[in-house]
Amino acid sequence: MARLMLLLWSLGPMLWQLYSSLRSSEALSGLGAGGWTFENYRQLLQGDPPFLTYLINSVVVGASSTALTLALAVPCAYALSRLGRRQARALTALVAAAAAFPAVLLFLALLELARDWHLANQLLALSLPYAGLCLPLAILLLQAAFADIPIELEEAALIEGMGLWQRLRWILLPLMAPAMASSALLVFLFSWNEYPIALTWLSRTELLTLAPAMARIAGSSVYTIPYGAFAAATVLGSAPLILLMLLFQRQIISGLTQGAIKG
Amino acid sequence: MSGPMSAGDGFQGLELRHLSRRVGSHTLVDQLSLTVAPGEILALLGPSGCGKSSTLRLIAGLDPASSGEIQLGGRNITALPPAERQVAMVFQSYALFPHLSVERNLSLGMELRGMGRAEIQRDLNQVLALMELEGLRQRKPAELSGGQRQRVALARALIRRPALFLLDEPMSNLDAQLRDNLRAELRTLLRSTGVPVVYVTHDQHEAMGLADRIAVLREGRLQQLGTAERLYRDPANRFVARFLGSPTINLIERGTTQLGLRPEVLELTDAGSPVPHGWEALEGQLSHREWLGDRVISHVQCAEQGTLRVLSREAPTSSALQVRWRQADALRFDARSGERLPGSNTPHTD
Repeated sequence: MARLMLLLWSLGPMLWQLYSSLRSSEALSGLGAGGWTFENYRQLLQGDPPFLTYLINSVVVGASSTALTLALAVPCAYALSRLGRRQARALTALVAAAAAFPAVLLFLALLELARDWHLANQLLALSLPYAGLCLPLAILLLQAAFADIPIELEEAALIEGMGLWQRLRWILLPLMAPAMASSALLVFLFSWNEYPIALTWLSRTELLTLAPAMARIAGSSVYTIPYGAFAAATVLGSAPLILLMLLFQRQIISGLTQGAIKG
Repeated sequence: MSGPMSAGDGFQGLELRHLSRRVGSHTLVDQLSLTVAPGEILALLGPSGCGKSSTLRLIAGLDPASSGEIQLGGRNITALPPAERQVAMVFQSYALFPHLSVERNLSLGMELRGMGRAEIQRDLNQVLALMELEGLRQRKPAELSGGQRQRVALARALIRRPALFLLDEPMSNLDAQLRDNLRAELRTLLRSTGVPVVYVTHDQHEAMGLADRIAVLREGRLQQLGTAERLYRDPANRFVARFLGSPTINLIERGTTQLGLRPEVLELTDAGSPVPHGWEALEGQLSHREWLGDRVISHVQCAEQGTLRVLSREAPTSSALQVRWRQADALRFDARSGERLPGSNTPHTD
């Protein structure tokens, strides 16, 4: 019973969106008796530019932000977890402070950066602020995961003659898979949902990511609210995320049970 | 002391010369010098924190030495990184790679060193057969029992054909029964490698059962090095005397000296019996007995000396007892420093 409630609670709104997206606008506004329709989707996908462009843009930005964040966070976290206790504690406090810093305050500075460095309307350039904002949290997460790996495993690899890169590649990173998956997911989610930076850095329509693109749909007309189109956009926008969750979920769970090995 | 002590530069075993490790103001290993001949098993024995694991880590190259020298096969390896020392180490936790199968745990190092596939397969088959692990090739460490994990860890060390074998409490994760059964097996296996073996343990039975010689450490300093029998019969100081032997040695205050009396040199008779020439005696009350099957440990409460443990074949019949011993059987220690004093029992030769 509790599970059913939980399912309803989390899936209900999504199903409602799905339902809305498949109804004609007449049916939604209660004016006519229009039935089921794919019209909302057709409109979106055949728009100019087609909605798919936004999806692809978001995937590109999400993937590059995630890759950049992990590429920087893994070495940082490794170094922090292998430093002497006192130094590591000081640096970790610094990273935590960065993670707790209200990102909103950086907004104007980022805008100036974009102007001075000509980063506006460059899709991949968005991963710079995204990675920057996600880095502290990713470092903290990964550092905890590194610290959880018994040091003897790395020492055994060291005695086997493995170099730093080989130890990371063959021993540490495979054991870090769950932590890396969850950090990656967090970064991807952040960049997928991020609105203000994307809105101000991107102005050309064909470069928009999902969040600003959807805002344009919602604000496309003052007189009618395109409920159906908006719902369809929501469904299309969240589908990749759900897919990603399902894919990563298995890895996270298998990784968690793997961590139970001791001695 | 016994053992190969004339270690010149051509010495093929392991030699530590005044090896020290200091961290801050702590001295973990203090001026340690010893040799281990090829095919010899040396146990580093001591309570936790005595520096035995630190010594092992120095030899493996996992920690840098503060001073002193490590020689292996006539080569100075003090400054070499672990990979170039040709040592194999079995960790207390076994440190098996949890995400890899048994087979891959053994072969990964060889693969990354660029060994040929055929060669790897040959070595793998050989070692897996030797360790009776063929049936477990594809298992992950989590799917193995404690004993099997230990065999995999040993196999991973053996397959490297190391010039030196290091083991850090490899038995401590096994139950007592298995430990007893494995001791002889492990000894045979280690001897067969023909390389020096350094075996760290805090368990005197393990050290006595496995090692050719035992080095007793305390606070980073070598207390005594010798065969188990030598250490037992002729301990250099009170610490060694107390650390080896079970039940532990009885200590009796005699002014500035202390007498060390092994439980088996004490005899029990009826209270008030005449004391023969060359013997000493104390009167006491039997407090309780531990029956071990073939022997009995009697705990006898003596007025000023506390409880003495007496090991005998027969259980005492009365509770008022006389504990006596041959004066020549008593070990004498300086009460303050704990150093062994000369003129006690004639040292046994071994």
